[in-house]
Amino acid sequence: MSYEEDLSRIEAIVAELGRDDVALDRALALFEEGVERLRSASKALERAEARVRVLIERADGTFELGHFDG
Amino acid sequence: MTKPSPRRAAPPDAPDLFDAPGAPLRRHAARTREDPPNVGDGGSPERAISVSTLTRTAKDIVEGAFPPLWVRGEVANFSKHRNGHWYFSLRDASARVRCVMWADDARRVPAPPDDGMQVSALGRMSVYPAHGEMHLIVMALEASGDGLWRKALDQSIKRLTAEGLLDPKRKRRVCAHPRRIAVVTSPDGAALRDIIAVVKRRCPIVEIIVVPARVQGDGAARELVSAIRRVSRWRDVDTVIVGRGGGSREDLWVFNDERVARALAACAIPTISAVGHEVDVSLCDLVADLRAATPSAAAEAAVPVLAEVRARLATRAVDLRVTLERRALRARRQFEETAHDMRDALERLTARRRARLDIAAGRLDALSPLATLGRGYALATDDNGHALTNAAQFVPGHAFRLRLRDGSVRARTESAAVDPASERRPTER
Repeated sequence: MSYEEDLSRIEAIVAELGRDDVALDRALALFEEGVERLRSASKALERAEARVRVLIERADGTFELGHFDG
Repeated sequence: MTKPSPRRAAPPDAPDLFDAPGAPLRRHAARTREDPPNVGDGGSPERAISVSTLTRTAKDIVEGAFPPLWVRGEVANFSKHRNGHWYFSLRDASARVRCVMWADDARRVPAPPDDGMQVSALGRMSVYPAHGEMHLIVMALEASGDGLWRKALDQSIKRLTAEGLLDPKRKRRVCAHPRRIAVVTSPDGAALRDIIAVVKRRCPIVEIIVVPARVQGDGAARELVSAIRRVSRWRDVDTVIVGRGGGSREDLWVFNDERVARALAACAIPTISAVGHEVDVSLCDLVADLRAATPSAAAEAAVPVLAEVRARLATRAVDLRVTLERRALRARRQFEETAHDMRDALERLTARRRARLDIAAGRLDALSPLATLGRGYALATDDNGHALTNAAQFVPGHAFRLRLRDGSVRARTESAAVDPASERRPTER
């Protein structure tokens, strides 16, 4: 699940929670999911400093990421 | 530089004779292979030289006499041979010179010139020995102003437009929060350094994947196409930046290459073009999903500012809690309303019942024998309150009660006489 997907899901949850017709038990389930998504999205924002790597295509058409010294 | 080969066709027009002066001819004649040494120098009919010697000597002399020169003139009789060589003339008001441009050189010119176009050609003067014809071997060609560059670009734009590749509807949204971005550029160029610096400053959690390709010179287009296709096959990346830092028009020209633009249009991942300076819009700019003026601007468009993202997430967390609280509040209010409604209903129910009871009581009252007392009748009872309704129940000398509308009277029976008509059924009631 990417940060982007988490964030858009959270926004959808907030929108649905804000509707008048959402049942209470549904609202609670949505909230729980929202909290889970928040946790996952926050984790995505706390990754270590990103590396710069170089894309290498192997002879068999598969890929690997190599060390890049720029 | 390319040397003429026997396969090459001669300039198509009729040859102009090259008027070789005698002295240089004598100097050069000894070098030719086809005449035996010292056999002829053209000094007398007996010492006549062959035509081949003449034209080869002329070629040597002409090629030795001129350094490569830029020549300005108008293009005429342009023709492109199947094998890629270009033949044309350059002329001005009073003179013309035949020109040939070999395929290897012609390939570097963005587009063939049109007849009538003003150009400058860098060429070496030479003689085509087989025709004895002088010509300029052109190595580079530039039209005045945008000229050929513009022409080539316009042709490419027309083709890509016709295929719908420049349609704004094709443009995809570039990922707002990428996990990884790929950069197709020279691994040691300023563009990559700028992009890395901006990404590390704004959003250091984003991973940068370098996909190396030369961005200028021979083979750059091929390398760019191959690099873009490689990323597109890999796919494990959110955004692709393709570009290079600023440079001369020729340095940047590869980004106007139709093959590169087509590879970019076919890329499976949303693309950002970042080519040089703001003034020039390249073909890649037109095809990419997003155009950035510089590599730094591309990096800014590709990644958000991490602090802002965190702030936004914190806001969402608050939103989530607040909406849930609001929902809970609504639930409590609904519950209270329901409880209130229930109490109301209960009260209404009891009120209705009381009202029915009152009506029943009223009816009962109306039917009560006591109501009769109001009209001036009296009811006789014994001391226990039992009604005395027959004359026979009255015993002379005994006390009884008379109930009236507003009270009771204690009385005593003097005598009682049963009415003869009622005698048969004295206790009927």
